Order: sequence, then C-alpha cells, then structure tokens
Amino acid sequence: MGTSILWFSAFLCVLIFSFSLQRKSHNLAKNLIYANLGTLFIGALYLGYQFLSDNFSFVYIFQNSNVLLPTFYKVSAFWAAHEGSFFLMIILLSSCAVINNIAMKESRYLSLSNSVIAFILFFYLIFLALTSNPFMIFEAAPLNGSDLNPLLQDPLLVIHPPMLFAGYVFYAITFSFVIAGMFTDFDKELFSIIKIWAGISWFTLSLGILLGSMWAYYELGWGGYWFWDPVENVALMPWLAGTAFTHSLIFSKNKVLLSWMVFLGILTFLLSILGSFIVRSGILNSVHSFASDPSRGVFLLSLFALFSLVSLGAFFFRSNFLHSGWPKFMSKNYLLVLNNIILMTILTIVFLGTLYPIYYEVIYSEKFSVGPKYFSELITPAVFALIILFTLEQFPKILSMDKLKASLILIAATAIIFIINYFNMGLLLSGIFLATLILKFILDLLNNESVRLHKLFGHLAVVLLTFSVLLNHEFSKNIDFKIKPNDKVEFMGTSLIFKSVDVVPNKNFDSVVGTFEVEDKGRNFNIISEKRVYKVGSVITSETGIAPYITKDYLLVLGDRYKDGSWSVRYSIKYGIMMIWMSSCLLLLSILYGTIRRYDY
Amino acid sequence: MIDLKNTFRFLLIFSFLIQADTLYEDIDEDELERLEYLADNIRCPKCSYGNISSSNAPISKDLKKEIASLINEGYSDQEIFDLMQYRYGDYILLDTNIEDNKSIFLIPLMILVISILLVTTYTIRKSK
Amino acid sequence: MITRAFLAIFLFLLIGLLGFFAISLQNDDMQPIKTQEGKPLILDRELYTIEGMKVDKESLFSGKIILNVYASYCLPCVIEHPFLMEIADSKNVKIVGLSHKDQIVETKKYLEKYGNPYDFSILDLDGSLSLKLGVIGPPETFLIINGEIVAHRIGVIDIDIWNDRFEKYF
Repeated sequence: MGTSILWFSAFLCVLIFSFSLQRKSHNLAKNLIYANLGTLFIGALYLGYQFLSDNFSFVYIFQNSNVLLPTFYKVSAFWAAHEGSFFLMIILLSSCAVINNIAMKESRYLSLSNSVIAFILFFYLIFLALTSNPFMIFEAAPLNGSDLNPLLQDPLLVIHPPMLFAGYVFYAITFSFVIAGMFTDFDKELFSIIKIWAGISWFTLSLGILLGSMWAYYELGWGGYWFWDPVENVALMPWLAGTAFTHSLIFSKNKVLLSWMVFLGILTFLLSILGSFIVRSGILNSVHSFASDPSRGVFLLSLFALFSLVSLGAFFFRSNFLHSGWPKFMSKNYLLVLNNIILMTILTIVFLGTLYPIYYEVIYSEKFSVGPKYFSELITPAVFALIILFTLEQFPKILSMDKLKASLILIAATAIIFIINYFNMGLLLSGIFLATLILKFILDLLNNESVRLHKLFGHLAVVLLTFSVLLNHEFSKNIDFKIKPNDKVEFMGTSLIFKSVDVVPNKNFDSVVGTFEVEDKGRNFNIISEKRVYKVGSVITSETGIAPYITKDYLLVLGDRYKDGSWSVRYSIKYGIMMIWMSSCLLLLSILYGTIRRYDY
Repeated sequence: MIDLKNTFRFLLIFSFLIQADTLYEDIDEDELERLEYLADNIRCPKCSYGNISSSNAPISKDLKKEIASLINEGYSDQEIFDLMQYRYGDYILLDTNIEDNKSIFLIPLMILVISILLVTTYTIRKSK
Repeated sequence: MITRAFLAIFLFLLIGLLGFFAISLQNDDMQPIKTQEGKPLILDRELYTIEGMKVDKESLFSGKIILNVYASYCLPCVIEHPFLMEIADSKNVKIVGLSHKDQIVETKKYLEKYGNPYDFSILDLDGSLSLKLGVIGPPETFLIINGEIVAHRIGVIDIDIWNDRFEKYF
C-alpha cells in the first residue's frame, strides 16, 4: 500500500506539472497539489503507525527501531535513515507548495513555481519508489528490530537532520521562484517573494549546521566542533552559496548583474542535491555514511545530472532575456560583488578540499585525506577580506573619495591583512574590527543616522565568531596523564583532583564513573566522565565530562585503568566555545530579523 | 550493594598491562607540543572521522604512545609522518602537503584573482 | 554574451565532474588503509609464545607462514575461528597466532574453548609488536612467504576472501 501511494503521488506530479503550465487549468493544478499533500500525508501517517505499532515486517522499521525504544525515538526513527529522511523531504517539499498556493494570490510566478516543484517531486518519488522504498516488506516478519543507532538516541540529533533537510527543501522552493522569474521577469513582487523564501532557507540551513556542530561538541566529546569532514562540508557549501545569493538580491534588485543572482539561486539548489549524492552514495568515507548502496549512488548521480543540466541548460537559453548591468566602480554594489567573489572563493576551497580525495582516488587508485589544516589556513584570510569589506562599507566617505585612492586603500588594507595573518595576529585583528564596528554603531546612533540592525548585528556576529574561533584555536590545550584516586594534578593554572571511581549498573549498560574536582581561581566544581559497557554486543563508549562556562570549557575523558589502580585521563581546557555558540545565535537572530522586517534593503 | 567479584571482573576489562610508570615516558613541554601537533595531524586508522588525538579507539592511543617514544628516540616530525605514511598510506596524513598537491592551493587563488580582475575591468569599462 | 560564455565553461567543468563521479562509483569499495601487502615482515624484537618459550624468529622469515592476529575479547575472531581450524587441517602451511593485547590466561581459555589451529601463539601484551607490524586491530591475517607479506586481510577471513586473495599461493 505504501509503495502505491508513492507511485500515485508521482502520477499526480506529472499532472500538476502539465496543468500548471496551461493557463486554463491552473485551478485544477492547485487542487491536485492539495490532493498530493493529502496523499503523501496518508503515506506518512501509515509509516508512522507501523513504527508505533512495532510492525517489523517493514525492513525500514526493522533497521531503525526496537520494541524497547522509547516512543519519542520511535517517532524520530522515521527520519533516522536514508529512506525515511528522503520521504520526509518529499513531504516537506509538498507542504511548502501547498503553503505557497494558500498564501499567494493567482500569479504566473506561482504556477511556474508549482511546475518546477512538481518536476523535482516527481523524480524524487521515482527515486524513492525504485531504490529506497521505506515501505519495503520482508517475506518473513522478524519479531524484533535491530534498534535505532545509539548515537541517534539523543535530542540534538533528532532535530539537527530535519532542520538541515528543511533548509535544502526551502532552497528548492527559492530555486523554483528564481526559475519562474527566469522565464518571465523579475519585478518587485517576485523579489519580495524570493527574499522571504531565501531568508527562511538561509535561517533554517544555518540553524541546522549550528545544531550539528553543537552535537559534535557535546555528544561526540572530543573537544572539537568542526572537523571539515565531507558531510559537514556538504551542508556548508549550499550555505556559502546561499549567503552569496542573499547578498546578491541587494544589487540585482536594481537590475545589476541579475543573471548572476539567477545563477546563484540555481547553484545553491544544485549544491544541496550534490550534498545528498555525496553523503548517500558511499563515494566518500565519513562519519555519517548512510548505509550506502551502489545502485542508489547511480540513481542519485543521475538525479543530480538531470537537475543540473536541465536548469543550467534552460538558463543558458534564457540568459539573453536577463539584464546584467554592471555596478559603478567602488560603489556599494561593487563591494557586494566583491563579497560574492570572495564567498565563491571560499566555496571553491571547500569544494576542492572535499572532492579532491575522489579525484585522487580515480587517478592514483589510492585513498587520500584532506585535513582540517587546508581549510582553516586558506579560509581564514578570505574571512578577513570579507570583514574588511563590510567594515569599510560602513564608512561611505572613504568610498566616495577619488576612485583611485579608494581602490588603493582597499588593496593596502588587504595587504596588511595578509601580513598580519602570516604573523598569526588574527585575534588582535578581529578585536580591532569588532571595536571599529561597535564604535561606528554608537556614532551613528548619536548622529541619528539610520542603522540597519540586521546588517549590523549580522556582521558583528561574523567578527565575533571569527574572534571566538581564533581564541579557541590559539589558547586551548590538552594533556594526557596517569592519575590515582585522591591524586592532584596542576594544568594551566587550574588543579584537578581525582576524587573517586565507582561502578554503576544501568538498564542496558554498566558504567565506570570517574568523579573529578576542578579548582580554577575561586571556581570550584565537579566533572564526571564515564566509560559505558553496553550489555548487548559489549560495545564500550566513552562519555566526556564537559563543564561549560562563558569563556572556558573544561573537558575530561576517562581512559584506561592500569594494573596499579591508576587511570589514564585526558584533561582539556577549551576557550571560547560558549562565545562561538552565542555569536552563531546572534547571526541567526539577525537573519531572522532581516527576513521578517518589512522595509527595503 | 555492589558485587565485589563483578566489580573486579568489570574493572579488569579496562585494565591495561603496561610496565611503564608515566603515560608518555619522560617527555618535556616542548616535546609535548610536538606530540599534540603530530597527533592532531595523523588520522585515526580505524575511525571514519577524527585524528588520533580526539579518538578513543585503542589503536589511536597506541599510536600516540608510539609517536611519543619516537620523539624520544630523536625522530623529526617529517620522519614520523613518513613512517606513518609508509605503514598506512597517504590516507593517514591530515597535514595536506602543498608541494605535492599544488592544484588545490592554486585554483582558489586563481579564481579569486581572475574574477576580481574581470569584474573590475568590466565595471570600469561600463562606467564610461 | 558574457553570461553564455561563463555558463559554457561551467557546464564543461560540470560534465567533467559528473564523469569523475561516474568512474568513482564503478570502483570497488576500497579499504581506506593500505594493507601491508608487498612490504617486508617487521619483527623488531625477541618473541615469546604464550607458553613463555622463546620463538625462533628466523623460522618466521623463511617458507610460507600464515600469521593470524586474534584476541579473546575480539568477537569477530570467534566468527572466523572455525575457518582457521579448517585451514590448519586441510592446508600444508604453518599457522602462527599473535595474541593481541590480551592476558595469557584469557588467551588460553579462548583456545581451549574454540580450538587451537596455531603451531604457537606469539605474545604481544601491549600491542607494540602488532603496531610495528602494521596491525590495526584483530582480526587480521597475513600470508608471509620468505619474509615478504604477500597477502594481508584486515577483518574477518572466510572462504571467499581466501579464494580471492590467498588461494593463489597454494
């Protein structure tokens, strides 16, 4: 029954696609869109019901659930693996189409958008039905499931993937409107539609990435929040393109480089599809590898090829109809274009770093790694270049100077940045920019100049984030040592006392709990680190103890026990982690505010 | 009440039979920094993510110990990376070498420079 | 027109990219870590068996030897053990075990319970011998001919792997 729902929905999509393109059947198309969501919703409820009733004859439920699994996680298991998460995206995409049709009045943009969405949905549904069917059934029904991956039994990891998927889906909607404009024209109405959807997409994707980073830090517990792992990068790439896209809306609104904006809209969408391919095809080894399957890989690659060639091909043919005026030299628009160029450079760096191992493997038949150093060393100066741009933009007097002088200043500033970066003074630099922006803000307030809060706080958040990241990188330290209960160790001006170690039995695991006391200039607290031995499969996991404070985090990992009763312990002090989360939240709030506010840019 | 026999058997799982007294034999602060740098740039052979510093896998800890003793024996950073590369392949190295992989370093730079030049040229030209 | 020129270049690169992906998908799933195949055997110290007897190291560098890395705490080792017993019976080759970071008492219990296919088992209490050899973790199996590692399996060994990689040397 579930599979027939998928096929029926695909059939509806064909109808929606053709009817949306004909003026007289627009209303029919709209009704079919509602019907489609209804169909998919029934499918979702059907699958959800199987989860809640422990029906393990469904392969997908067998693989991701268990009789003992708490109900909360039985629900979240819906999107725990490849088939279900793809199905979730399909449902989201369909829901957004419905929302569009309810919220917007009749307009040609709407119909074109509907047909683009139907096009995408159709192929997703075919893909799901043919290679990744969540409704597949065993011939002989097992009595119990193999259980949800323990890593996924965690609230943060329940919400992080759907947030990311929502981000990708919203960018698909944005894409549909960009395509709609490409085939008609871009007027004020379309720009405001695109601006809202782009803002929603950007916010959601940013939030999804942030949640993933927080999960990595608090749950994986190795003291890091970003490893430049392929799966992390694959979410970052559409984000970078999306950031450039949102900024491009500012100048393209005035018919400057309109085709570039269209290109970015298409690129952002394509990058999110590319992301799905890389993560789900098994082409790159990574922490998130969904159960990979070669036929799936071929199909996903075909999907990516189809969408990219069709959209870029259509763009190629329509490009003569799009206005591509150029900005004035050293104008605000020009600076925005420079911003886009730098963002594209960062995107290229992430892209190359992620995909070079595949290239290497094809050419040299050997596996290869591109480590975090490549990314951080190349991206840091680029980020500073961006910071210079948006700080300079705050001082229009400089820009309205003689163009030659202005460009010389820009070049000189960039050169200084590079030199300072080389001498590792990034922290100082970001502090200076932070101060500059804040002072300018205060000055503007005092002079009653209008301040665009979302822009100010967004950019401030970026500088703060850079500052916090550099702080974390420069000053954090770890140490491994051997310690017996009641021993005391000194490290970085703090002292650590190993108070006790106890064995604590639990329901499905036993744990060894190490309790430590930390003393740091008047601050006094306990940290607990555990080693858990799960009764099924004898899996041993290590639970890092983390004590977060605003500027410093204290981390403790209990290691192995020695014959003489002492334990190996890893103690770390990380700076600026809370500051990283806070500046990210500030960034998110700015994006949100920028999307909701009703005025022009 | 905790069963003493089970506790002992349980703790035995984590018991590590080693003769040495310290975690890393006689290593001073400078060398500790070297150790951290090396460990941060060697991938964990068994995990799909992470360097040996951050991994809890037994092989990661063993490798870190081995690197510590190699430092003591006077090996240079490059020699240690070479040894790891010989044993496990290129995959294990995280500090991507610029000499051997010039393309991924040069391409972004070229794109940046060419784009800025093109855009600026057109911008100035169209302003006339 | 500039846009078209730009798009043409982009599409060209894209097609190249798609080609690479297609080729890459065809490749068999490779193990990321190089095996030790083609390398000389490295045993950098005196070796002792789990019985406490000294091992004649020279004997390991001549002729055909299978070296199997195992441990009592290693669950997949139990799975491959029957196959090793079969090889010990059917093939005329010396099989040597390497007890990886395991207590002697536990190793002996393991061999009593599941059978002992090995001529003897080398003791490696702290794992440093295995590390130098290039072992990642049990189970692993090496085929050494005259001191050179000609085949190396990281993971459980079964009849398929054997036929694929090891059989040709017999």
